[in-house]
Amino acid sequence: MNTEKSNFTEKDSLALITEMIGKAKDSYHDTGIAAIMWGSVIAFCSLVKISELHFNYKLPFDIFLLTFLAVIPQLLLSHKERKKQNVRTYNQVALDYTWTAFGIAIFLMVFVTNAVFAKLGAFNEVYISSTGKQDYFRFSEFTAALFLIIYGLPTFITGAVMKFRPMLLGGIVCWVASIACLFTPVKVDLLLTAIATIIAWLIPGIILYKKHLQRKAAIPAHV
Amino acid sequence: MFKDLDPILHSQLRLAVISLLITVKEAEFTFIKEKTGATAGNLSVQVNKLKEAGYIDVLKQFKDNYPQTICKITSKGIDAFEEYVKNLQSYLHK
Repeated sequence: MNTEKSNFTEKDSLALITEMIGKAKDSYHDTGIAAIMWGSVIAFCSLVKISELHFNYKLPFDIFLLTFLAVIPQLLLSHKERKKQNVRTYNQVALDYTWTAFGIAIFLMVFVTNAVFAKLGAFNEVYISSTGKQDYFRFSEFTAALFLIIYGLPTFITGAVMKFRPMLLGGIVCWVASIACLFTPVKVDLLLTAIATIIAWLIPGIILYKKHLQRKAAIPAHV
Repeated sequence: MFKDLDPILHSQLRLAVISLLITVKEAEFTFIKEKTGATAGNLSVQVNKLKEAGYIDVLKQFKDNYPQTICKITSKGIDAFEEYVKNLQSYLHK
């Protein structure tokens, strides 16, 4: 690029500014791997839980603990991707904070819902023994709805910030599913969770990954 | 009455660098080189001029045993760029 000032007109300046801002804006692309991983993990956990309830067996551990294990490859993946990047955009920073906040919110939700379960357990036992009725308040009927509200939040924001319609719609699907969960039994709640995470994360992740591979193929290899 | 355009910014490569940096939080020297298509030597000189003017911060560090140069626009640089664009608009609308 020429550094001379002589032939550099005001119109050239404006054109250059527009070109450079366009180039910089186009510099961040998600590989989609994290979305594929989380979409698969949550859908898998939900489907295993459905089978536990349907076929009346119980694993020696809560299958959703897998989500905590999935944090390890997520951290390694983020570290690897960050090392490869030679630029950090404002969108990227905003999305990093959004997904970190999501992770914290999920952790707190697990903690809070477990605390509520513990309190309600004692309350329901008193209710059953004093009334003889079995139709006590089942908090588990509502937890999927609460989690789906949180799943929708970062997904919708990411879709809007990245101007990526599949994720924007995915966020809305999570919220619609959370309302539907209020009217369905637990097994259907879990099925809705699996479907919502496949639509919100797994499918958009696959689309992003395909785009990432196309971009990679378009860059000529260095000899 | 038209104001003179900032001579620091009214240079093709320096303006390109500032235009890139105003859009991102921070960028490595390699990123700026790739996007501007400038040679490393020329870019290095222009980056230094922007640094001396206080328009950008330059952080030199090591990443995996390789030197890494990170550039970031300063608030003075943002103000100068905004002023430059404002003056540019007045020229274009004359």
